Amino acid sequence: MTIDELNRRVSAARDEVEARGETFYPGASRVHLAAFPPRERWNDWVELDSKSWPKRVEKRYMLVPTTCFNCESACGLLAYVDRDTLQVRKFEGNPEHPGSRGRNCAKGPATINQITDPDRILYPLRRAGARGEGKWEQVSWDEALDDIAGRIRACIEEERHEQVMYHVGRPGEDGYTTRMLAAWGVDGHNSHTNVCSSGSRAGHHWWMGMDRPSPDHANAKVILLVSSHLETGHYFNPHAQRIIEGKANGAKLIVLDTRLSNTATHADHWLSPYPGSEPAIFLAVANWMIQEGRYDREFVRRWWNWQEYMEAVHGEPGASFERFEEVLAGVYSTYTFEYAAGESGIDVEVLREIAKEISNAGTRLATYNWRSAGSGNLGGWQVARTMMLLSALLGSIATEGGTFPNSWNKFTPKPPRLPHQHPRRWNDVLWPDEYPLALMEMSFLMPYLMKDQDAFVDVYFTRVYNPVWTNPDGFSWIEMLTDESRIGQHIAMTPTWNETAYFADYVLPMGHSSERHDLTSYEQYDGQWIGFRQPVLRAARERLGEEIGDTRDVNPGEVWEENEFWIELTWRVDPDGTLGIRQFFESVENPGGKMTVDEYYGWIFENSVPGLPDAAAAEGVTPLEYMRRFGAFEVAQKVGRVHEQPVPDGELDDVRVDEAGRVFTAAPVPASSKAPGGTKIDPDEDGRRRVGVRVDGEILKGWPTPTGKLEFWSRTLHDWGWPELATPTYIKSHVHRQNLDSDQMPLITTFRVPVQIHTRSANAKWLDEIAHTNPLWLHPQDAERLGIAKTGDLVRVETEIGYFVLKAWITEGIRPGVAACSHHMGRWKPEGHQGQRIGMMTVALDQNGSDWALTRKKGGGPFESSDPDTLRVWWTDVGVHQNLTHPVHPDPISGMHCWHQAVRIQPAQPGDAFGDVSVDTAKSRAVYDKWLEMTRSASRHSPDGTRRPWWMLRPVRPERAAYDLPEPEPVGA
Amino acid sequence: MPDAPPAPIDAVRGLAVLAESPSTEHVGIGAALGLESVPTPAEYSDLFLFQLYPYASVYLGPEGMMGGVARERIAGFWHAVGLTPPAEPDHLAALLGLYASLIERVRSGGHVPADPTDGRSPRDPLEAESVLAAQAARALLDEHLAPWIFSWLERMEELASGVYATWASLLREVLAQEYRATRATSTDLQHLREAPPLPDPRSDGTAEFVAGLLAPVRSGVILTRADLAEIARRLDLGLRAGERRYALEHLLAQDPGRTLSALADEARRQSSAHQERAEWLGESAVFFEERARATAALCDELAERGVS
Repeated sequence: MTIDELNRRVSAARDEVEARGETFYPGASRVHLAAFPPRERWNDWVELDSKSWPKRVEKRYMLVPTTCFNCESACGLLAYVDRDTLQVRKFEGNPEHPGSRGRNCAKGPATINQITDPDRILYPLRRAGARGEGKWEQVSWDEALDDIAGRIRACIEEERHEQVMYHVGRPGEDGYTTRMLAAWGVDGHNSHTNVCSSGSRAGHHWWMGMDRPSPDHANAKVILLVSSHLETGHYFNPHAQRIIEGKANGAKLIVLDTRLSNTATHADHWLSPYPGSEPAIFLAVANWMIQEGRYDREFVRRWWNWQEYMEAVHGEPGASFERFEEVLAGVYSTYTFEYAAGESGIDVEVLREIAKEISNAGTRLATYNWRSAGSGNLGGWQVARTMMLLSALLGSIATEGGTFPNSWNKFTPKPPRLPHQHPRRWNDVLWPDEYPLALMEMSFLMPYLMKDQDAFVDVYFTRVYNPVWTNPDGFSWIEMLTDESRIGQHIAMTPTWNETAYFADYVLPMGHSSERHDLTSYEQYDGQWIGFRQPVLRAARERLGEEIGDTRDVNPGEVWEENEFWIELTWRVDPDGTLGIRQFFESVENPGGKMTVDEYYGWIFENSVPGLPDAAAAEGVTPLEYMRRFGAFEVAQKVGRVHEQPVPDGELDDVRVDEAGRVFTAAPVPASSKAPGGTKIDPDEDGRRRVGVRVDGEILKGWPTPTGKLEFWSRTLHDWGWPELATPTYIKSHVHRQNLDSDQMPLITTFRVPVQIHTRSANAKWLDEIAHTNPLWLHPQDAERLGIAKTGDLVRVETEIGYFVLKAWITEGIRPGVAACSHHMGRWKPEGHQGQRIGMMTVALDQNGSDWALTRKKGGGPFESSDPDTLRVWWTDVGVHQNLTHPVHPDPISGMHCWHQAVRIQPAQPGDAFGDVSVDTAKSRAVYDKWLEMTRSASRHSPDGTRRPWWMLRPVRPERAAYDLPEPEPVGA
Repeated sequence: MPDAPPAPIDAVRGLAVLAESPSTEHVGIGAALGLESVPTPAEYSDLFLFQLYPYASVYLGPEGMMGGVARERIAGFWHAVGLTPPAEPDHLAALLGLYASLIERVRSGGHVPADPTDGRSPRDPLEAESVLAAQAARALLDEHLAPWIFSWLERMEELASGVYATWASLLREVLAQEYRATRATSTDLQHLREAPPLPDPRSDGTAEFVAGLLAPVRSGVILTRADLAEIARRLDLGLRAGERRYALEHLLAQDPGRTLSALADEARRQSSAHQERAEWLGESAVFFEERARATAALCDELAERGVS
C-alpha cells in the first residue's frame, strides 16, 4: 500500500465516523506524568527504598488507590503497600483521578503521618469518671454498640426522634449517612456548614437553586476569586492546578483578599478591600457594565426572572425587556466607582480597570467565593450573590471558561435500598423558628438553642468534628457538653484526640483515608467523576487471595470504618426489623441477611454509574474490582448548558404552561441513576410536576428555582420578610467602620494556613513542622500606633466577650487598619488528659461561674514515642485558640456565622502570658441575644404557615407535614 | 517547479494518535491504518513509558530528559506559528498533529510549490499564508523532528513486536517521504549546534559521563532499558532495577571494561545507522553519526586503559 493509499483509507474512515456525528481523532490521552507508575504495573511496582539511602535497596509495592480524607477536595491517593510486610510505606497521587490528576498538596502524602501517629486512638474507650474528667476505660465494640443502639432504639420507640443527633464536620462522603438517618426517620443531621460556607452557598442558591459554584478556571479568560484557592480551600488542589492552567493560557487573575495571601501574590490584579466591602465593589462593576451596555442582553432576556420582578416590584406585568433594562439602569446607579472606592478603600481607577477586564471576559468569566468575605461579614452571602450578578450579566454561567452550578458537575449515584420514608418530626434545635431561610442547620447556636428550648439530646454523635475548638464560643460548648441534663450520651467518632472528645462518654476510633470506605464526587471542572475511598490493606490482601469480612481485621488496633459500624449499629437498633429500619441495611442478594460494604458499593457501581460497567468489562473485571483497582471513574465530560437543553418529548405529557412560562407535565419522573436530591418545586394544582420552562417558544430544562429562571429577584426573600434584600445588594458588615468604636479594628479570622486543615490534619508531623502557629498580622502603621515594637512581641486582643494573648507579626501584607489571625492552630489538651502530643499544648481550664480561663502550662516539644521523629520536635509555639473568644454572630438570613471580629489590640498587660484566653460566657449570651433581635422568624413572617420554604435545599428532608408551623398556643395557656 | 505530492494529512494524524496511550478510538484508526491488532495499554507502557520516551526534548536536550531548554525552544515554535503550546509541546503526538495542521493550512491556501522558497512572490494573502505555513511545516520537520525521529523509529522497530513495530515502520515511511518531497529551508539546527559533547570521565567525572551517555544529543546514541538489560545478559552481570542511570552505573561498577566495550559496540552500531541515513537526511544525521562515533572511540579508549 502506498502512502497515498494509506492516507485515502484513513480519510475515508474519518469521513465515515464523522458522518455519524462521532469523533474520529480523540483528544490527547497520553499519560502526562510519564514518570508515574503506569496502571498496568500497579500490582507489582519496584522502587528504591528512600529510607535506605544511600544504600540502594529495592522495594516491591502493590499500589492501591484511595481518596484523601483531609480537606473536602477528595484528591486521589495511591498507597504504596509493601509486598513483604503488607504495610503502607507512603502515599502519592493517583493519576487516574479526574479531579486531582495525580497531583496532591502537602496534606495528601502526610496521610502516612496520620496512620502511624503514635498518639492516635486505637481502641473504643468509655468514660470512667465524670464527663470531662479525663478518665477512660477500654471497652469492646460489642459493649459500645449495644449501649448506644439501646438508647437510639428507645428514642425511636418513644417517639423522641429529635433526641438523636449526628453532628458532622466535613463529611468526605456522599449520601451514606443521610441515607441512614432517613432510614432511622431521624431529623438529626447536623453539619458544620454554618461556620463554613453557608454564606457563599446562600448567595448562589438564591440565584440558581444550586448552592455551589464550579468554575471552569482552565478555560477562563478572567478568573475572579474571593478566596485563596491557590493555597487553601475547597477544592484547593484541583482548582489551583486549573487556575495555573488558565493563567498559562493567558487568563487574567483578579483576587480580592485583604491579606497578601499566596494566592494574591499570583494575581494580575490584587485588591485589598476593607473587609465586607466586596459586594459594593461588585455592584459598582455591575453598574458600570449596565450603564455602558456591556452585558449579554440576550442571555439576560432569556434567563433572568425579570418579568416576575417587573410585575411584583414595579406593578408592570407584561413589561417589555427594554422597559426592564431602563429600570435595571436605575437599580444600581448609586453604586458608582467613587462610592465603592469610599467603602473599600480601593482606588477608583483600579476599580474601573478591573471592571473593564471583567466585562472583556464575555462568557469566560470564572468566579469563586468560598468562606473568605462570604463567611466573615454580616450579609456576607451578598458577596456570592453580587458576584453571580456579574456572571449573570455576562451570560458566563455554564459556559466554557465560565462558572457552572455544582450539581451539573457532580455525580452522586443512587444507592441500593433507598429509604422511602422521611422524618416525621421537625428538629427545632437545628432548624429554629428564627432562621427560616438558613441554608443549613444552625449548628453553632446549639448551646443557646438547647437552653432556650429546654431541649435534651439523648444520643449525640460528633463525627470527625470538633465544635469545642472549631466553633465560636467554645466554652459555651463545654458547658453544654458537660451538662447531662442537656446531653444524655455523647459519642465522639474520631481517629485522633480532639478538644470535643475530652467531653464525650464514648470515644470510638475511626479510620483515616486508607482505612475506610467512602464514595465522593465534587464539582472541580466541567465534568462529573466519582472517587472511591477504601481500606487499602484490605484491598491489597484481597488481591492476594484473602477474604476480609471486617475492616477491623486489617486496620491498626481496633480502628473501624464508619460504614460497617453504621450497618452493625442499625441492626442492633432494630434487630428483628420491627421498627422498619433494618430493611434498608439488609442484603439485596440475600434478603434477611446483613448488607455488606462490598455489596453496597458493588450494587452502586453496577447499577448507578453510567459507563462504569463497560469500562470494567473492557478491563475484564467487575465494576467494584475496577474501582478497587483504579480508585476513580469519570462519568461525564463537558456537561455544558443544561438549562438550554430541550425537555425530551417523552417527558411531555398533558403539558400545562403557566403565565410565567413554567412547564408542568403529567409524565412520571424518568428513572435516573443519580440519587434524589436538590430543590423541590411544587406541582401545579392538578398534580403535574414542573419539568422545565418555556423560553422563546421552546420548552427547556431551565433552573431548579421556583421560576425555572435565574432569580435576579427572589420571591422567597421578599415573601419571607426581607423585601429590601430580594435583589442582589450590599449590606454593611458588622465590622463596617460605622459600627466600630474609634479604638476598634476588624480582625480577619477566616483564613487557613496552607498545609493545615482545621483540626483534621493536626496529627501529621510533617505538616506541623511546616506550620504550627498563628501570629497576629499587623501593618507597621498599626503596630506603631498601638505601641507594638517588633514581630514576636506579645499582644492582647480583646473581643466582645474576652481576650487572647499571642505574638505579633508586623507585615505590610495586610491592609492598614485591619488585623488578621488564622483560625488554624492553638490546639490544646487539658492537664492530666491523654491525647495528642504533636501540635498540642497542655492547658489549665478554670471556670468561675460564667468566667472561663485557659492558661498554657506547657507548649509543644520533643517526646519519646514509637516514632523517633517525635524526639526531634524543635518547636514549642503551637499557636493560640482564638475562637474561644469569638461570640456567635449568626447572619439573620443565611444563618452563617459571621466570623470577623471587632477587636481592641494593645501590648500585653502585666501578667499576660502567651496563649492565655479569658472569656465570660454571660457576655457571649448577650451578644447572641443582640444578634437574635435582627431575625425575622417564620412564625411571624411565613407567607404560607410553614417553617421554611419547601423548595429550598435541605439535608434529610422531613415529610411535608412536618414543615407546617405548630398551632400557636392559646393566650394564657 | 512541479507540484508536491498530495499531503498525507490524515495518515499523519492517525499515526499521531497511535503515539498516545491506547483508547477505544484507536480501534478504528488502527484498522484504517491497516495495523494487525489494537495495541494494549501494557504494550504502550512498556515501549513509551519505559523504553522510548516520545518527547523530542529527551533526544534534543543536553540533559537527555523531558523538558528543559529543548522543550522551551519547541514551545517557542508553537508561539511563532500563532498557537498556544499544549501542556507537552514536544510530545510526538503533539508535534505530528501540529505538522498535519500546518500542511492542512498549506493545502487550504491553494497552489503549493514543492519548494516554498522558490523566490516568487505570493499572488494573494491566502497564498502568502500558505507559503508561510509550508515554511513552518518544513522548519518543524527539519529542526524538531528529523534530527531524532528516524533513529527513534528504527529503535522502536527493533524493540517492539507486532503492532507498534508496524506503526513505527509506517510512520518512518510517511515522514521520510515528506522529508524527501520538499527541499529544506535555511535551517538553523539550534538544538544540535548548542549541544555540548559527551563528557570524558577522566576530567569531568563518572556521573557526568554516565549522564552524557544517556543524552542522545551528546552521545549520538539512544540507550534504552532494554539495551542495558541486553548488555547485562550478554556479560552475565546483575541488572539493578531503577532508573537507567543507576542501572548503567552498576554495570560499569561491576565490570567497567567489558561494559564500556559493549557500549562502544552499540555506539558503533548506531553510528552506522546514522551514516546510512546521512545520504538523504543530511546535516543532522552527520551530526549524530559523528557523536556516536566519538562515543564509541571514547568507550574503547577507556576500556583499553582500564579506567574504572
